[in-house]
Amino acid sequence: MSARAMSSRLPFVGAAGRHNRVPSPYPWLMPVILVMGLFYLYPVIDVFRYAFTDLTLLGGEGHYTLSTFANVLTRPELQQIVWVTFIFTAGSVIGQQLLGLAMALVVVRSENRHLFGTTILRTTALIAWVVPGIAGGIIWKMLFNEAPFGGLNSLLRFAGMAPVQWLSDPDVVMWSVVLSNIWRGTAFSMVVMYAALKAIDPSLYEAAEVDGANGRQRLFFVTLPQLRPAILVNMILITIQTLNTFDAIISLTGGGPGRATEVLSLYTFNVVFRNYDLAAGSVLSILMLIISLGLALVYASFLPKEEKA
Amino acid sequence: MKKSLLAALAAATALGCLPVAAEDLITSDRVGPSDAPKKMVFRLTGDGPSSTDPTWAAGYSKLYTQFINNHPGWQLELQMMTGDISQEQARMLEQAKAGHAPDCAAVDSFVLPLFKQAGVLKSLSPYFKKEEIDQLFPFVREGVTGKDGQIYAWWWSTDLRVLYRNKEIVPNEPVTWADTKAAGLKSVEAGMEGILFNGSRYEGTAFDWLGNFWGQGGKLVDDAGKPIFADAANRDKFVKAVNYYRDLVESGAAPKRVTTIGNYDDLNAAAVAGTTALFVGGNWQLRQLQNSMDPEEFAKWTFSMLPGITADQRSTGTGGWTVAAFSSDPEKVEMCAALAREIYMGPANALQEQLPTRADLYDKYDVFKSEANQTFAKALKVGQARPGVLIYPEISNQIQIMMGKVLTGAAATDAAVDDAYKASLDAYARL
Repeated sequence: MSARAMSSRLPFVGAAGRHNRVPSPYPWLMPVILVMGLFYLYPVIDVFRYAFTDLTLLGGEGHYTLSTFANVLTRPELQQIVWVTFIFTAGSVIGQQLLGLAMALVVVRSENRHLFGTTILRTTALIAWVVPGIAGGIIWKMLFNEAPFGGLNSLLRFAGMAPVQWLSDPDVVMWSVVLSNIWRGTAFSMVVMYAALKAIDPSLYEAAEVDGANGRQRLFFVTLPQLRPAILVNMILITIQTLNTFDAIISLTGGGPGRATEVLSLYTFNVVFRNYDLAAGSVLSILMLIISLGLALVYASFLPKEEKA
Repeated sequence: MKKSLLAALAAATALGCLPVAAEDLITSDRVGPSDAPKKMVFRLTGDGPSSTDPTWAAGYSKLYTQFINNHPGWQLELQMMTGDISQEQARMLEQAKAGHAPDCAAVDSFVLPLFKQAGVLKSLSPYFKKEEIDQLFPFVREGVTGKDGQIYAWWWSTDLRVLYRNKEIVPNEPVTWADTKAAGLKSVEAGMEGILFNGSRYEGTAFDWLGNFWGQGGKLVDDAGKPIFADAANRDKFVKAVNYYRDLVESGAAPKRVTTIGNYDDLNAAAVAGTTALFVGGNWQLRQLQNSMDPEEFAKWTFSMLPGITADQRSTGTGGWTVAAFSSDPEKVEMCAALAREIYMGPANALQEQLPTRADLYDKYDVFKSEANQTFAKALKVGQARPGVLIYPEISNQIQIMMGKVLTGAAATDAAVDDAYKASLDAYARL
């Protein structure tokens, strides 16, 4: 069927289309625009509106004001919370990316060699991913429990080693939280990396082999450059995901001891649901949105640009 | 032959149907027939048929079955809250403001002022006699009464914090902070972890500790509800009470892991596992310990009032649960009041040995004549409820943060107290 015949059969063709024979995209886009607008855009607009008020969950009409921005952004604890968020996010993203890549390489390599256990490895990692954050936090809380009957410390004692203050030492607790988040999120990175590895043209490896490249050289000069877009997209996704993580932390440490593990998302949650300050929570949500967008743009700037025709 | 076969079939069918009918009346999320024309949604804590304690679950199932049989044509849809009570209550408040609250719900007494202030509760005054309301303890009556003199919830249970101890290791009751430290150290020498208490980001951390401040005569807020816990008159008492806990951890009388404890079940677990001989817990834990331990092991355990800076400066926090109605349907509000009266006002107290809020119920039920409950009742006399003010949840939040910093050594006591006070005042200014 010719393109002309096809366009003549299309039900909706805009005024311009009658001359150019290009169908109008709007009828097809409208459902998506409506759904996005209703379920995504409207709440975001509401968050912006609340941020310019002094609304609380306790009732009252609330008034439009700029003072909430000034109050929230000058809070003395905010600096520490942003720093804690940075450590948590950076640790989690780097850990998940590296482990996810390593596991994907192992899985692909094992599949190529038809080794036993590949599916078991892949499934085991995916189980951690499907465990809800709250449940994951509780599981790790049991493992990190510092009581004499605590999971990991019992193993350490069994091995003749000193127990670790996994959750009560302010210098250690953040790394315990990062570890639990890496455990949970690695599977996602593994799936993305696995798909990207499978998409690499095998002829590139054949050419590298003909050129005498060893395994390390193949990894650094073929695999990683080919994975670059996937790695960057994955990092955008897991950074946003990690910035929004609070369920696993709330059940593992509650943000404590003190504020040692209180990340921005948890702080926002606490401000709204414990301090009942809806307006302040909205300002913090906007701050999170700006940080997420900023980081996404930074990553995106490293993505390979399509060459203009 | 044919007749006997039919009879056998009929009997088998009848026998088979009986348990089904009984099971149908109460499920994990419903009480009453599923096709009942009237339905009330009730959101509850573990104080119900889904209690994790099998004895209590069975007892509540019986009470709920009796209740629904007394109210034909009704079914109850049960919505369970999670253990994160602060979050659950805040979410319910928001739902109530948006008009999506359950018809009836368990409301924690310490957040009841927020619900009253938001104007989302329906009056229960028409459904309770004046004599019944007059029987409530004064702090309870005051807590449920609105500015218009109507009662907006039925506060059915109260509780208090006590010091549990294993008599084999700590034979004598610690009455002062110094006694407690000595007892904690002695238990460590006996191979135990020392004294345990809630110390993480958890409401119990603030509430269980506040008795140490209140015992010295400290006040959290003034009559207008403004935080004053670290003003000139109270700061010294507050700092002393914080330093008491700090000293317990730094001396080794308490393990540093108290900063990770945010659940009374963790304390039970340590007691049952035999790794602690001392802990600060709630009165309801006595029955939990009894249900979890062998009788010989349980016989080693006892409890006493929380120690004070001196023997005559002692206090304890008292809390409890209420039942409140949100529905705008008067029939459902009446049903909610009936639920509070027929299940919770007395029978549930007796079942769980949860201390009643009415003086006359202590005489009505034999369980409250036991030595243990008489001791709890005695301790209740020095009990103090959390102030019914809007700022309390934030004060509690700040105490939890402060406690974490102090007990881990991350901040000096004075600086941490000042930070908590300033943050509370800032939050108060924004209310």
